[in-house]
Amino acid sequence: SSGNMSTTSQKHRDFVGEPMGDKAVTALSGIGETLGKKLATDGFDKAYVVLGQFLLLRKDTEMFTEWLKDTTGANSRQAVSCAQCLKEWCDAFL
Amino acid sequence: MALHEKSVEEIAELLDEYGIKHGPIVDSTRSLYEKKLERAMEDAPVKASSDKTYYREEEEEITYITYHSPVKRDGYTDALKRRGNAKVDESDESDQETESLIHVTKRTANHSPIQSKDQIRKSGGGMWLLLLLLSVLAAVGYYIYCRVTSNEENTFGIQ
Repeated sequence: SSGNMSTTSQKHRDFVGEPMGDKAVTALSGIGETLGKKLATDGFDKAYVVLGQFLLLRKDTEMFTEWLKDTTGANSRQAVSCAQCLKEWCDAFL
Repeated sequence: MALHEKSVEEIAELLDEYGIKHGPIVDSTRSLYEKKLERAMEDAPVKASSDKTYYREEEEEITYITYHSPVKRDGYTDALKRRGNAKVDESDESDQETESLIHVTKRTANHSPIQSKDQIRKSGGGMWLLLLLLSVLAAVGYYIYCRVTSNEENTFGIQ
């Protein structure tokens, strides 16, 4: 988590600061409108569904990053940002 | 058989074989794991496919050794036991020593042209064991020599 401090956005801090509840998938850092739509089409319309995938991949950020890039066409920066966001959320709330 | 035709269990086995940590193999994770496997198989194509034949070869080699070496080994061991008994009859360690020496002779006698990495490593260990054993034998021999000479001195002294 330390290496990413400089790149964490306000969106990241907002997400990892509280339970995700019913938040939309676009609340995840790295996930904008385009990627959000793509994810929703694949059934990942809520942040918690994406969390489910992250958990299926054993919270392995590398695996998750690769999955997100493969399924949504996200670039590395976006995918890493989203993985980091979920990782930190898990560290805080699981 | 292509990866996408394999069962979940087969995929899981392959992932384990290639040391890829994985969670449940379900619809949302399977293609990722297949991709990871494909990449791992390209990096190390020998590993999974010919691994089993490799082990079989090794096994054949081992049986070959056990069939051919007993005569040689037994003779050597007997000679060694006799030597050991003559030299150190009161030593409890002598049995253990000869036993480990049997191991060493078995390993070093194996000079087959196709030596697997494993066997090379083992025979390397055998060399160390042999060296250790030789030094132990030398120490025991020296100890006995000292005792014998001191006994002689004592008896001479008494007389």
